[in-house]
Amino acid sequence: MLELTSKRHELDDFAAVQEQFHERGWTDGLPVVPPTPDAVVAMLEAALLPADHLVGVEPVRGRAITAEKVAINSVMAGCRPEQFPVVVTALTAMLADEFQLHGPTASTGGAAVLVIVNGPARREAGMSGGFSALGGGDRAATCIGRAVRLCLINLFDVRPGGIDRSTLGHPGKLGYCLAEDEEGEFGPTPAELWPSLGDERLDLAGGPEAGLVSSVTVVASLAPRQFMNEWTKAPEEILDTYAAEIRANMRHYSIWPGNYVMVVPPQLRAHLVAAGWSKADVRARVYERARMLRREWGEVGKGAVVGDKGEREYPALEDPDQLLVVAAGGPAGGFGAVIPPWLGTRSHAVTVPVGACVNC
Amino acid sequence: MGEQAGLPSAGIMTSAFVDAAELMARVLGAEGYPFVTIEHPMASAGPGELHERGRRAAEACLPLLVTG
Repeated sequence: MLELTSKRHELDDFAAVQEQFHERGWTDGLPVVPPTPDAVVAMLEAALLPADHLVGVEPVRGRAITAEKVAINSVMAGCRPEQFPVVVTALTAMLADEFQLHGPTASTGGAAVLVIVNGPARREAGMSGGFSALGGGDRAATCIGRAVRLCLINLFDVRPGGIDRSTLGHPGKLGYCLAEDEEGEFGPTPAELWPSLGDERLDLAGGPEAGLVSSVTVVASLAPRQFMNEWTKAPEEILDTYAAEIRANMRHYSIWPGNYVMVVPPQLRAHLVAAGWSKADVRARVYERARMLRREWGEVGKGAVVGDKGEREYPALEDPDQLLVVAAGGPAGGFGAVIPPWLGTRSHAVTVPVGACVNC
Repeated sequence: MGEQAGLPSAGIMTSAFVDAAELMARVLGAEGYPFVTIEHPMASAGPGELHERGRRAAEACLPLLVTG
């Protein structure tokens, strides 16, 4: 049924909507698209969801999150209906127990929810995974990421200074959404070597459904750390730079292992693929190299917490599969990026297929 | 949560989180729930400072545990 039950507000014009929404704390500071009943229904119809569909249960207060509420925030964010299935799947994933939503959204650490999209839903939503893949790359990624943030604000009270205790936060908190370049539109991504993140995590890689299932992966993430190394073709050297960036995060931020995301743009990806390195090979190499000794903290002003464990080695990853490798980025430039986890394994990345019925 | 389970409880917050604790109490339906406040930050405090804060917090918790 598509009977909407949310309270309705009659307002005179577009400007009145903006002022009313801002005054009530319903926005992220940017103008919103008025969530009219017709626009909300269009969202729900695109995902074939009834308004009262239970997306999940908010973890602190036990508040039910319905598809209608997610649809309202998606309209406000500027989403088109074909993007709504991605948003509602992201919320489903965020409400899984292992994501521990309250932690990363309330913590002083200032994490954001990174949304990684795989499969046909990317193209249906209009996502590219190419130029400026980690911010402002296309309308779909911008609006989907913003919809997730507006849901946090309006459905979970995650407002700065309220539930959200971020000391600094980062620009990704406005919206943090990334599509994988699965087709190799901007650089080689052969499925046999580089299966999509979603296929890998749903155990579909190499099987008859590979490339056919859309999915959303959510990760409680800090800001991306970009590096440059365009002076080598050797996979070992390229991956040593990735590992060094992870080690820098371990030394300066958190030593604990967790779901690091590694974004590999086409220029560096081409060297890895040309040498026959698969995503699994990449993970294995980074797993071996991304680790530090506790005494290194003494070099960066943290000597007080070295204690008597200075020679103890800490890996960035508990196992290679904890590393999420994503192909994305514009065609030129020897850049790569590492996206660190919020805080070790306090929150786990969660992958959910788009359109999957949970608890049916 | 402890109170809801029938367990006498006392919350302790550092001063930087007083408004967060008040907000959480409100959204959990326990507006005005009393708690003890200690100095912020904790991580950079020395052993002596920690001991003193702990002693004061324990004293302040006692009335919260024995009154309804």
